[in-house]
Amino acid sequence: MDPDAVAKAFVEHYYTTFDSNRAGLANLYQESSMLTFEGQNTQGCQSIVAKLTSLPFQQCQHAITTVDCQPSGPAGGMIVFVSGDLQLTGEQHALKFSQLLED
Amino acid sequence: MDPNAVAKAFVEHYYSTFDTNRGGLANLYQDGSMLTFEGQPFQGAQNIAAKLASLPFQQCQHTITTVDCQPSGPAGGMLVFVSGNLQLAGEQHALKFSQGDWEAN
Repeated sequence: MDPDAVAKAFVEHYYTTFDSNRAGLANLYQESSMLTFEGQNTQGCQSIVAKLTSLPFQQCQHAITTVDCQPSGPAGGMIVFVSGDLQLTGEQHALKFSQLLED
Repeated sequence: MDPNAVAKAFVEHYYSTFDTNRGGLANLYQDGSMLTFEGQPFQGAQNIAAKLASLPFQQCQHTITTVDCQPSGPAGGMLVFVSGNLQLAGEQHALKFSQGDWEAN
């Protein structure tokens, strides 16, 4: 399957899960997964999901603007760079965000 | 050496080079290096340096706001995420930018 299509599908799934069932993100991380968010490092599926579900908003909607991917490393991994808007309930203006994922 | 210190040092060197001697970026890429910029893929130090040298501004200044890094893969690689401001000569407002880098050991 075309890597760009795989990356796009993964990203759509990731943010749909984030927006509708944040705890479901646990299925997208493993024990060795790492998240660095606003300077803080978190490792392991449980800790990462705990961090993401503890963010100070209940509802959010991500709108993806760009998805770029490249192969990464010798073992068939992929690096994905995402940018877009994040609309929080009750806020007049959307936030901008970007995220780097390694699959 | 502490990975965060390595990442920060590399990032400072990268953007200093970008801002003062853009052609010098060729030394920071290899033949197997890849760049994806605004949806376009480029491969190899020459092609990447050519793309960066051809961006539609002569002078620029990057100001780094955040640098985050994580180990990547079994061979000691590192994933680095950078965000900051990009001031172009003659423009009133700085642009925002973010960049993801994967570095081999």
